[in-house]
Amino acid sequence: MKELFSPNANPRRVIFLSMVAAQAFVLLLLWLFYPLQLFPNLGEVFRSLGSLIADQGLIQELWASMTTALQSIAIATVLALLISYLTALPFFRPIAYAATKMRYLTLTGLTFFMALMVSSGHEVKLSVLIFGATVYLVTGMTSVILTTTQEEMDHARTLGMSEWRAFYEVVVLGKLDEMLEVVRQNFAIIWTMITLVETLYQSEGGIGLLLYKQNRYLHLDGVVAIQLVILATGALQDYVFVLLRRVFFPYSWLGAAK
Amino acid sequence: MTPYFYKEPVLTLDNISMSFGGELVLRDISAQVLDVVRPNMKQGQVVGFYGRSGIGKSVLCRIMAGLVAPSKGTVQVGVEQEPVKPGAVGFVQQRYPLFNHRTLVDNLLVAAERKYNPEEARQQVESYLERFCLTPHRKKYPAHLSGGQRQRAAIAQQLLCSDHLILLDEPFSGLDIAMIDEVKKIIVEVTTMDELNTVIIVSHDIVTTTALADRLWLLGYERDAAGNLLPGATINQQHQYNLAEMGLAWHPNVEAEPEFAQFVEEIKEEIRQS
Repeated sequence: MKELFSPNANPRRVIFLSMVAAQAFVLLLLWLFYPLQLFPNLGEVFRSLGSLIADQGLIQELWASMTTALQSIAIATVLALLISYLTALPFFRPIAYAATKMRYLTLTGLTFFMALMVSSGHEVKLSVLIFGATVYLVTGMTSVILTTTQEEMDHARTLGMSEWRAFYEVVVLGKLDEMLEVVRQNFAIIWTMITLVETLYQSEGGIGLLLYKQNRYLHLDGVVAIQLVILATGALQDYVFVLLRRVFFPYSWLGAAK
Repeated sequence: MTPYFYKEPVLTLDNISMSFGGELVLRDISAQVLDVVRPNMKQGQVVGFYGRSGIGKSVLCRIMAGLVAPSKGTVQVGVEQEPVKPGAVGFVQQRYPLFNHRTLVDNLLVAAERKYNPEEARQQVESYLERFCLTPHRKKYPAHLSGGQRQRAAIAQQLLCSDHLILLDEPFSGLDIAMIDEVKKIIVEVTTMDELNTVIIVSHDIVTTTALADRLWLLGYERDAAGNLLPGATINQQHQYNLAEMGLAWHPNVEAEPEFAQFVEEIKEEIRQS
């Protein structure tokens, strides 16, 4: 018990899991019995979740949003990797720099220009999500590239590798696991933007649109139910990314502090 | 005294100077490593560069390895005495870097593929794994190797792709007595692998470096006529020692000899005075 409050301690797995279960239980009790009823009660949320699944196609909407999100993150990842790797050439560094600064742009207004550039509502939706995710991904990916040390590059050069080969070995192959981590961390951005884009182009539906409607009619039990579904999806998605990292990059965890 | 004679140069530092942001770090360094031949002996050689901490040894290493061009002067390597390029000299850096995303065997293969075709590369790697006692660890990632295994792997990797010259930056730094003995064994092992192999040790460990080397250069600062310290570390004429000529090279337990102890004391005194 004492070790749960000791800095850098490594409690046994069973103790740690018990602690997590206890914390979740306390949270649940708070939700059930807190006198100030900020949130709809648990029963209402579950009933609303059932009704959303049965009557409003929550699963289909989730699937629609999920495929849009996956499509966007895949394209954004390719674009961001390309922009980040091109920073090896000084000519492209200003582009990457500008891309990282575009994080500060608000999407309102930008969607109009995107609508002018592409033909369908689906493409506008995708391009907004891709833009939003790419600027964050480039920021994370260029930071990873900047962690490359002189020692790492010198090591590759002493093995007679050309500058491009050294870059490929040290930066592209050597940091691929960290790039996956950047994608995992920034995938959340897509989910925060999805409500905005799905309300702009409502024809394809999506969980974001469903959330917007529940919120608009003050169905707070529905809002909480959908938020919990998004939270669970995000957690599952994080778990899948961690799993992928463990499978494809088994070396990636070896040097981590325990 | 062991009979020996010198042949052609294998490394020449000609008037090397290096400045960073107007600050002179190295000044007019000249040294030449000659291929030493000992009749009836098929063994390469070890030479040493000694310098105090922070004097610019690592900069000198990067210059010798062709990783950075000096502000002035040239470095020539090999029997043909060609200007040094990255990859011409095997260079084991202080922290023994390896590719952390590759297993040990892959780390060695990626180095061997530079000189050999895939089948030969595989055979060479197997032979190095065996020779450096690394076979049981072949599938491990660098993060799973001990310091000693990592050092052996880094040396093997450089040997697999370089042409006889191998440069070790501070190979004894932070090691205990047992590990130092282990590294000394590896260095001797490297010299016995090919009579053309030359190991260049750049270190601040004067005793171990002197015990292994047959030539020694001391990096230090000079003073002008008024006694003021001149900027930039250099190697002056008095600080170049031919240990073979002095009868202090190639003895199995040279550190126990009184002549060796006396020589080391003299060097230490030189260092203190500089």
